[in-house]
Amino acid sequence: MRRVTMGLRRPTTWLAAAVLAVLVVLVALPLQGLVAATLEPDSVGSWTDVLASPLSANLFWEPLGNSLVVGLATGLIASLLGGFLAWVVVMSDVPGRRIIGVLATIPFALPSFAIALAWESVFRNERLGGNPGLLASLGVNVPDLLSWGVVPVTLTLVAHYYSLSFVVIAAALSNVSGDLLAAAEITGASRVRIAARIALPVVAPAILSGFLLAFAEGVSNFAVPALLGLPVRFQTLSTRLYGAISTGDTERGYVLSILLVVIAALVLWVGNRFTAGRSFATITGKSSRPRRVKTGPWKWVLFVMSAALVTATTIVPGIVLAVSTVLRRTNSFDAGFTLHYWIGESDAAIAQGMRGVLRDPIAIEALGATVALGLAVALGATLVGLLGAYVVNRLKRNRLVGGSISLLSYVPFLIPGIAFGAAFIAQFGAPIGPFPSLYGTFAILVIAGIAASLPFAFQTSRSALGQVSGDLEEAALISGAGTATRLRRIVFPLASRGIVSGGILVFVTMVRDLSLVVLLVTPATPLLSVMTYRYASEGFTQSANAITLVIAIVSVAATLLARRLQGARQPWSNA
Amino acid sequence: MTAITLDRLGKDFGNSTALHEVSLEFPAGSFVVLLGPSGCGKTTTLRMLAGLEEPTRGTISFGDRVVANGDTGESVPAEKRGLGMVFQSYALWPHMTVRTNIDWPLRVARWSAADRKARVDEVLGMLAITALADRYPAEISGGQQQRVAIARTIASRPQVLLFDEPLSNLDARLRVDTRAELAQVHRATGGTSVYVTHDQVEALALATHIAVMRDGRVEQFGSPAELLERPATAFVAAFLGTPPAVLLSGTVSGGELRRDGVTIATAPGDGHELKAMFRPQDVGLGADGVLPFDVVECTPLAGRYVVSGLTGGDRVSVITESPIVAGTATRLILPASPAALFDAEDARVSA
Repeated sequence: MRRVTMGLRRPTTWLAAAVLAVLVVLVALPLQGLVAATLEPDSVGSWTDVLASPLSANLFWEPLGNSLVVGLATGLIASLLGGFLAWVVVMSDVPGRRIIGVLATIPFALPSFAIALAWESVFRNERLGGNPGLLASLGVNVPDLLSWGVVPVTLTLVAHYYSLSFVVIAAALSNVSGDLLAAAEITGASRVRIAARIALPVVAPAILSGFLLAFAEGVSNFAVPALLGLPVRFQTLSTRLYGAISTGDTERGYVLSILLVVIAALVLWVGNRFTAGRSFATITGKSSRPRRVKTGPWKWVLFVMSAALVTATTIVPGIVLAVSTVLRRTNSFDAGFTLHYWIGESDAAIAQGMRGVLRDPIAIEALGATVALGLAVALGATLVGLLGAYVVNRLKRNRLVGGSISLLSYVPFLIPGIAFGAAFIAQFGAPIGPFPSLYGTFAILVIAGIAASLPFAFQTSRSALGQVSGDLEEAALISGAGTATRLRRIVFPLASRGIVSGGILVFVTMVRDLSLVVLLVTPATPLLSVMTYRYASEGFTQSANAITLVIAIVSVAATLLARRLQGARQPWSNA
Repeated sequence: MTAITLDRLGKDFGNSTALHEVSLEFPAGSFVVLLGPSGCGKTTTLRMLAGLEEPTRGTISFGDRVVANGDTGESVPAEKRGLGMVFQSYALWPHMTVRTNIDWPLRVARWSAADRKARVDEVLGMLAITALADRYPAEISGGQQQRVAIARTIASRPQVLLFDEPLSNLDARLRVDTRAELAQVHRATGGTSVYVTHDQVEALALATHIAVMRDGRVEQFGSPAELLERPATAFVAAFLGTPPAVLLSGTVSGGELRRDGVTIATAPGDGHELKAMFRPQDVGLGADGVLPFDVVECTPLAGRYVVSGLTGGDRVSVITESPIVAGTATRLILPASPAALFDAEDARVSA
């Protein structure tokens, strides 16, 4: 009895209850709503429609196959390229490796549709009519294989996600003690043998987790297959479920969402089982910095290869997008240059009278709404993540509460954005008790954004708080500071850099996100990424690319700011 | 048996010099300890012996074979030098079991399967880690990891064994145990061992020869007894011994070394500064002493007491038969003459 009263008096307990309640509303309820909506008497038939009916090949199995092929190819190629670059930057003596390392982290800060749009601007052929890409308008005959479907979808996803593999593998490589390799060298083993038996196995967990992340993202990405696959009916699970829900075939869409969640979760869960507790970073003691491999005359070959790779995925798409926005005629130099698509007044002769994006009140409103959404989500997710991380940290002994908070904060990581969007429609699309339907409001975007950003916000808060040693807080406790004072004066100031830079990265993911919001946005709540997608599908290439550039600039600027706050010292930059 | 010769060996990192011209000879079968504070160049020297760094100047010879020549840039690669090295971080390959860690270097050296099995079992037994053979490095304790690292290093019977502060990550008790084992391993292998540490107790316990290093130079090279008996510099005198020698500085005037107006030794010349060295066991405490001494701490040691205190701002330690309470103000009783005198450059000036 006494313990209960004591417990209730402790502010942490109240805090834990509040955090848990928020997580249930944000994560558990939408998922439950999604499943429940498919189990209603008149909708349960959707399961058989999707899985076992004449429709199901078209509806599920074929898109599933495409998703898996794209995911597998993306994972493999991204790991290969990311691993190669990580080796060049961390272990070799290739010139310019520092700048290569910085550029290699940028593609992930770009929206995935930026590279897809740049691809389209170059490689689109005349198969679908409309405006062909630069190559076609220069008279080059671009085969369908390069213009549409699995090849461009995979390559643009690789261009986006190799950067993730690079970051993960580079961090692991720079944690490998130089002594580990020196000890192998002394035995007299050949370089190849050391690489195969010592270096590779030691970073294998990092390579695997990079592969799985790229694989899961490749399976569930929406923007890229929607732009480069959908026009030729190359369907993946994501585009299929978007199609189902946006055409009113809601229950089948929900079923597809659940299946997509299950597949993505399975991949990541299996991956975690393989990599958990198998970090092969330096085990004990001070380690010496790795000695760089002397590549001799190969130095310049490797330099050209890695420089070409990072340039082709950062600077080149940027230039392509920028140039394409000032071409009078879409993707063609014939008609000369114009700034019309940026600052032009409405002119019925051009693009059906669309104004330049900087003059378009809807685009300006969307910019405002996008930034506001990014800020609101960053604030909300950071707050929930921070309180959750603090509670989990403090309630170490209460496994049940701590475990539930950790689990609920992790679950959204397993849910592809578009499926999460579907879940929010299923749960909040209709009025609940006294609360009105949230569909079509700004609020549902914010709530969904917070929920989707929770895993990242929770993890960064947790590691930021982990930097603040428990001793520091205990010292404040002994000097008589209460919980609120300790949080305000000791914990948050010390953890603030990590927390703020985590918040900025949440802002970035939100600003460039398309898959989560594409189902939730209505004309009443325009967002930049959705405008881009609509313009691109309607053939207003210049406007789509101009808005994408705006998003890319905001994203990259915020990412660089976050990195600066983190002290800008990537683990490999000082080696 | 391999003797090791360093001839005018030097190493620069960019603009800073880690090692000046060092010339030393390590007799075959000796256990040489490179001793000094961090940044003195001892680890750099070891890594050059191993072939993990290239010297900037001078040469290293194993026996008659020059293995590294900084003047010509020639260098025998690490794996061709016939040596083994125990790293401070142990450098156990984390994805291999204990057995595989020990076995792999032998496999690289193309030993037959039967020989490998016999030798691995032998060193496992030698270091009493047979029971751990199938565990992974992450699953065993720091002390056990250290034994595995030693087992892996000696398995191929290298002629030269190098140790880079191998005990610094162990707790005090394990350090003493493992130290004793290292001494046995050295005797059992019969090779020449070079051992880097900043711990003078370790050095005195293990070494047949000690090179005391400071700022990239060797202060003194000799047997532990020589270093304790006849330190070449005040630095060596202050660095070695438990407790180290009592060093008192003063100014020479009229043939006497005076400190705070008190004569502590006789010395020729006039006006310059000298340091007088006394052995802790020769110095007493009592009211009839010549210099003031405020007791700071008193530690029991082998039936006697090490008393540390301040005299005129310098901290010194002496040995007494009975304990003295910290905070006591007493006086230092000095013997008639010091064991040695050192000049302002730290060099020894008298017997």
